[in-house]
Amino acid sequence: MKRIRSKQAGSATTTTIAVVAGLILLVVGGTVLKDVQPQVLQGVDLNLGLTVANIGVMLIAIPVLLKLFIAPLTESIHQRTASLEATFTEAENLKKEMAELRTSYEARLAQTEAEAREQIQAQIREAQSLRSTLMAEASARADELVKKAEIEIEAEKARALAEIRSHVVDLTLNATERLIGQNVDTKTNRKLVDEFIDNVAVTNA
Amino acid sequence: MTDTSVAKRYAQALFTTAKRHDVIASVEDDLAAIANLLKNDAAFRDFLFSPKVSRDEKVQIIDKLFSDRVTILTMYLLRLLLTKRRETEIEGIREEYEALRRGHAKAVLVTFSSAEELPDDQRKKLVEKTKKLTGRVVEPVFLVEPMLMGGVKIEYEDVLLDGTVRGNLEKLRERLRYDLFKNA
Repeated sequence: MKRIRSKQAGSATTTTIAVVAGLILLVVGGTVLKDVQPQVLQGVDLNLGLTVANIGVMLIAIPVLLKLFIAPLTESIHQRTASLEATFTEAENLKKEMAELRTSYEARLAQTEAEAREQIQAQIREAQSLRSTLMAEASARADELVKKAEIEIEAEKARALAEIRSHVVDLTLNATERLIGQNVDTKTNRKLVDEFIDNVAVTNA
Repeated sequence: MTDTSVAKRYAQALFTTAKRHDVIASVEDDLAAIANLLKNDAAFRDFLFSPKVSRDEKVQIIDKLFSDRVTILTMYLLRLLLTKRRETEIEGIREEYEALRRGHAKAVLVTFSSAEELPDDQRKKLVEKTKKLTGRVVEPVFLVEPMLMGGVKIEYEDVLLDGTVRGNLEKLRERLRYDLFKNA
């Protein structure tokens, strides 16, 4: 900014000098050299007063033109250039930022993939562990069922044997009862009663 | 439905009064006759236990039926039971009264069960034997149960003396089962 300001200050000085010089030349050409006779040099008519005046006009016109047209145009060009540069810079920054983001995303993606793989592996391990546990439980349950079935079979067998034995006892005693029934007559009955009377004694009933 | 405690209370009061007036046996006979009538005469039982017949009506009819056949004490008991609506306790009172009378007379009710009718000499022997065993006067009841097959069974209070063929067979059955299961 300082450079611009110093440049602007220098330009103003030059402009002022040029305008002053132009005015001087205009005045000199229009007054002092007005009456100088035109001369022909190498086939060209040369009016010194008009020429000097024209030079003065040129010296005045050029800074004015510079001030009024060239400077705004230059300023506009500078602004445009600056804007373009800013845009390019911004684009570069965005590109850089995009690259960084891409790198970051790629890293995160890689990390996510790694985590996903790790989770999958963990789930596989968990599933394998669960499978082992379930198989062990199923095996234990099967063993338990087999054992229970064996116990039930044994109990059923014992019950069947007991029923058979009981049945054998009943059959035997029923047969005995029939035999005795056929052989107990009044005489035998009297004898039984007499024996009972002779032998009976009170026990804890 | 009879209430044993109620029957006991009435029986105790009745027995005490009968003993005081020396009519224990007469009252017992009265009670036995009434209980027998209740057991065998459905019409009399329905009338006595009917809730539709009023107390006064029951008392009047019972008076007509029994006043000249039972002792005054028994009649008084009947009137009291009817008045208090305790007529269903008659059988229980009779049983409790008999128990009290036996206790007072140092007697015991003994049931002799046999497959055939026992001759008198064996009945006497059984009664004598039981008298020795219990040390009390024996009131025998002889029952015939053909399923006993042979021998005799004596029952009194909570004592059972089983000399029957059936009893011995059952004992043998239990013993055989016990041995079989023990050795299984």
